[in-house]
Amino acid sequence: MKLYVKAISSFSGDIDAKALKGELKTKYSLDTRRQDSFIHLAVYGAQLLKDKTEISPLDELFITSGVGNIDVLQRTNKYVCEEKDFIKPFDFINMLGNTTSYYVSVSLGLRDKNIFEISNRFTYINTLISVFTSLNSSKKDAILGAIDLATNPKEVIKRVLGVDEEVDVTSSVNYQKLSLKSKDAIGEIEFDMKFYTYDEILSVVENAQCKVITSMRCTKLKNNNTGAYFETIPSSFVNQALQNKTDIIYIDCFEERYKFVKVSAFR
Amino acid sequence: MHSVYILDYKVKTSQGDTKQTLKAIKDTDIDISYKEVSTLNESVKIPYYLFEEKSSESVSAIKKIIKDIVIQIAKTLSDEQKADTVLFVGTSLVDTHLVEAVESTVYDYKKKPYTSAKKSIDSFACEISDELGLHPYTMTISTACTSSMNALLEAKNLIGSGVVKHAIVIGVEVFSQMMSDGFSSMKLLSGSIQKPFDISRDGLVLGEAVAGVLLGSDTSEWSLLGGYSNCNSLNITSVSPQGDEYAEVINRAMELCNVKTDDITAIKAHATSTLTNDLSEINAIKKVFSPDVVFTTLKPYVGHTLGACGVLELAMLISCIDDGFIPKTINHEKSIIDEYVPLLNHKPCEDGTFMLNYFGFGGNNTSVLVKKEIR
Repeated sequence: MKLYVKAISSFSGDIDAKALKGELKTKYSLDTRRQDSFIHLAVYGAQLLKDKTEISPLDELFITSGVGNIDVLQRTNKYVCEEKDFIKPFDFINMLGNTTSYYVSVSLGLRDKNIFEISNRFTYINTLISVFTSLNSSKKDAILGAIDLATNPKEVIKRVLGVDEEVDVTSSVNYQKLSLKSKDAIGEIEFDMKFYTYDEILSVVENAQCKVITSMRCTKLKNNNTGAYFETIPSSFVNQALQNKTDIIYIDCFEERYKFVKVSAFR
Repeated sequence: MHSVYILDYKVKTSQGDTKQTLKAIKDTDIDISYKEVSTLNESVKIPYYLFEEKSSESVSAIKKIIKDIVIQIAKTLSDEQKADTVLFVGTSLVDTHLVEAVESTVYDYKKKPYTSAKKSIDSFACEISDELGLHPYTMTISTACTSSMNALLEAKNLIGSGVVKHAIVIGVEVFSQMMSDGFSSMKLLSGSIQKPFDISRDGLVLGEAVAGVLLGSDTSEWSLLGGYSNCNSLNITSVSPQGDEYAEVINRAMELCNVKTDDITAIKAHATSTLTNDLSEINAIKKVFSPDVVFTTLKPYVGHTLGACGVLELAMLISCIDDGFIPKTINHEKSIIDEYVPLLNHKPCEDGTFMLNYFGFGGNNTSVLVKKEIR
């Protein structure tokens, strides 16, 4: 399976929630009320993409994440379950996964397909498969957003990411505009349905004609990815490769199963 | 694109298993329970369609009810077929794993030693898929009330593209205090019964359910023609009263499936029995169909099962048609629009083309068409 990339946007790092909200209000004139940091991060990344490419109202939207909107869950859990306060209607609504994709959709002027989905292992790569088969049917273009928010204390998200306590985690948002057509593409991403064994992935590494980057989960492979972790990190490496006009293979691992994406940047 | 067929279905509702739920619909013999929800000033008892045995929001309990249905559906598949079967889940459940992580970290009195394992709302699908020898690709879709129907359309794309041979699509929703309180805070819950499209409707009644369908490229009497899903609304919780957004998704679904209004045997409406949704929906039906259109609703039998209602109501409709009738709409006395009255008596029917509509919070609207041809 192959998807062409028309445009990308990325933003990573420990976010300043107030500054991000302010940027959305002042730079993009967006209404930020009744939303939270996870939604703001998702919308901000979408606006960075909009700055770089034309968005059609009929582009399909796919949003994925490692665990979803941790911000609203953490906050609501505290005042509802611990302080026995009454749930606020907009916190309740923001707990639904597609609330984030709704606000992204509105901010981009989209009015077509809009899916919020999570796959426990390889959420970004599995969502690429979803996007590919959807475009195969609809013949449209798609926007794929991958969002992860690290709230304070970071221990909460670390507990569900399967990482050691000392691993640093961070927030990140990465978007790609994807198409089955190569016109105006800046690169391509290849992937497949197969889950590879260690021996099979070793063969991929040995035969690679480009730089190979491995997830920190690939403990049996040489790990050359030392930055702060977030679940949709492959999406970030895809964007970095396309930005730097380099070709890469990114390998991820989950319980002894491997998957990879091959990124070719057009020069 | 390959054609995609519905090969099997199973449900578990407040009325029982697939057969018991069918009997409850056929005999209009419906059981409703009650639950406490919070309002601004007090706790009140509201009607709620609950499983016969008490359910729990715990990770293990949710996994068990999903797994039981997947086992029932997967038992017709050989080991080789299972290895080429992906598992999709549609739900609006709060991620219990994340709740556990929050509580183990943030509150001193609940503090637990640090442990970490990759978990998410898709962990249920992921673990069950491994335990039953299914393909390791799993996906959980969360688009409010359209969740499991959107999961069904995504699964159709995978099979249609020839990527896999089979998909099991599950819709699941169990009682959640947070979700119930949330609906209560929005004043969307009825204190009595759901009255779809009725002028005296006063809200929805929530329900627990798990349902699953098996999709595949092997032919069967039921084919999944396709559908259309979009995000288009007036605001995050509703569309325009005129129902233009719903009409758009209905028209587009028919266009994509090469189906005309006259081809449609009956419509399964979303019909939450809330003031705004039912008004928009019946106006949309009026915009697209003539007054003689057959339309019906299923939520008064099992409640509004949120993310599960997509697959659940599809399975319920198929079950009724396979038994020879289109189920009537209960609890309806006077329609919002006089000329457009939902089906008030079970109608004999063995085959045809059926439209199923789902409209949710977050602007997600989905319309799907299925067809039964007796071979």
